[in-house]
Amino acid sequence: MTASEDQADVEKVLTGDIAAFEGIVRRWQSPLINLAYRFCRDRGRSEEMAQEAFLRAYTALGQWRREGAFSTWLFALAANIYCSELRRIPLKMVNLEEAADLMDLHNINRSLEDEDRKRAVRNAVAALPAKYREALTLFYFHDMNVTAAAESLGLPEGTVKARLYRGREMLRSKLLRVFPTQRLREA
Amino acid sequence: MSDDSVDQILFQEEEILPSSGFAARVMDAVYRQASTPSPIPFPWKRAFPGLATAALTLLSVLLGFADLVWAASSVRHSATGAPVLVLAFHSKLMAQAGWVVLVSFVTLGAVKLSMRLTVA
Repeated sequence: MTASEDQADVEKVLTGDIAAFEGIVRRWQSPLINLAYRFCRDRGRSEEMAQEAFLRAYTALGQWRREGAFSTWLFALAANIYCSELRRIPLKMVNLEEAADLMDLHNINRSLEDEDRKRAVRNAVAALPAKYREALTLFYFHDMNVTAAAESLGLPEGTVKARLYRGREMLRSKLLRVFPTQRLREA
Repeated sequence: MSDDSVDQILFQEEEILPSSGFAARVMDAVYRQASTPSPIPFPWKRAFPGLATAALTLLSVLLGFADLVWAASSVRHSATGAPVLVLAFHSKLMAQAGWVVLVSFVTLGAVKLSMRLTVA
């Protein structure tokens, strides 16, 4: 996955060699699908969203300014599409409190499994307001790199840091409401 | 649940693999898009006379109405008991009729011109 390969393929596509776009698709399909999956938690929908991102990238390829990395431009474009898509058709969410009740009924004498905890955390993230959810999703996708998350969101780093801080606070309070303190400490 | 464990859960997300035909499907969509003719841009230059005429017409109507309201406010008494706005309207009717006829002709001319340009 090199910048020079991306640049070469972009130049070819811009001169009319549409087939060269396949190189871009093959190099970036997995990251774009995984990013979409983090937004929507649905494999089928994540492929549809990634396909839409590639199509938009194809039509807007001429707008990529060479001073920035192609990947940065592509992720920003994809993140923009994914955020819009999720705002247009929101996630079907399980209410966090209801989910915890169900877990309690089924696992009344069992400690929380890893998977249950993970699901609860993801549900809590999904239940956050869009701007905090988007910041958190991109922050973790970019290996907890605030700069990369800010570039993908097209926002200043300070704004992203503030959203991350507020998002984490909301996440913590949601999780504390759901899980009894003792259990949280065990975790 | 500590921040570290939340970080760990959100950082270590499961990776999903693209389905086998994903790249081919995207390329099919790209080829379809490439073969679709680009949308015709709106003919602003040709539409400009019509738009300018419409704007002028709207402006003259608004000015006319403002003038009417001004005239109505200056009429203090109505001998027939009719609303003052109606009286003012009647008094201004003949004066405005000429403008209305002029604007109608200008509009008709603009429409004809637009249609001729469109056909050309």
